[in-house]
Amino acid sequence: MELTDADLVARVLADDDQHAFGELVRRHQSSVRGLLRQLTRTDIALADDLAQEAFLRAYKNIRSFRGEARFSTWLYRIAYNCFREDARRRKELVGVDEEQWQAEQDPNTVDPGLRHDLMHALSLLPLHERTAVVLCCQNGLSHDEASRVLEIPLGTVKTNVLRGREKLKRTLAAWGPN
Amino acid sequence: MIDDETLDLQLREAVPYINDDGFTSRVIAMLPVGRREPQWLRAMIVVGLALIGTGMAYFLSGGGSLVRQGMVQIADFPIWLLLVFAFGCGLVVGAFAVIFAIRKTPEVRNLTRLDF
Repeated sequence: MELTDADLVARVLADDDQHAFGELVRRHQSSVRGLLRQLTRTDIALADDLAQEAFLRAYKNIRSFRGEARFSTWLYRIAYNCFREDARRRKELVGVDEEQWQAEQDPNTVDPGLRHDLMHALSLLPLHERTAVVLCCQNGLSHDEASRVLEIPLGTVKTNVLRGREKLKRTLAAWGPN
Repeated sequence: MIDDETLDLQLREAVPYINDDGFTSRVIAMLPVGRREPQWLRAMIVVGLALIGTGMAYFLSGGGSLVRQGMVQIADFPIWLLLVFAFGCGLVVGAFAVIFAIRKTPEVRNLTRLDF
């Protein structure tokens, strides 16, 4: 029988079992790396570095996981914090911010195919809407879970998801694959 | 225009499963080694130190004469004083038990909005 995330966390807490933690990493690496790739706009190397940092932080702070939320939600929160800190650091270092990045993008340079259109449309969303859409629509978190991950009010999450969805629909309709 | 469910489905399908490709091994290799002793070892150390401390206290107090004297003194106390003392101890232990129970139960903590 396969152990649950809670069982694996209990093993890490009791015996500092690194194999159990390894199993947790194996289970969640795809979703955490996927989330960070979306947030970093498909900068794979940066996303993987941040994911590695997130898992290391999770291991060091596993005692603070109280089981109130799903383990994956807790991980997303750590990953999002890693991303936010890194983004702040980069902005301070090179002065690149969201608005500048969006202004540089040409909406006409779209890869063929719905998947690419969708990912491009997603990458054009402002960070707060993109993050909410990725967490709720792509990773299946409830609005309540997303509000915990992002540490913002529930109503703000709902608004961001709604606006993000509407923009995606409009963009996809304009490009005409559907 | 597409509906929400179709959009969510397309968003999920747009992100394929990311193969591990050694990612887990890299994370495990970076974990701090020997962060703390296993739980059983810590328990053994605590119990061992407690036994040593008890033994030292017993011999240093002249074979437990201090304990005997204490018991004799307590026996001389009026019964109402002992009852008040026991009641006070019960209250303190009970209060700690309630606090720890709330800390360990998220539903109750959210309900009472207490944060210890």
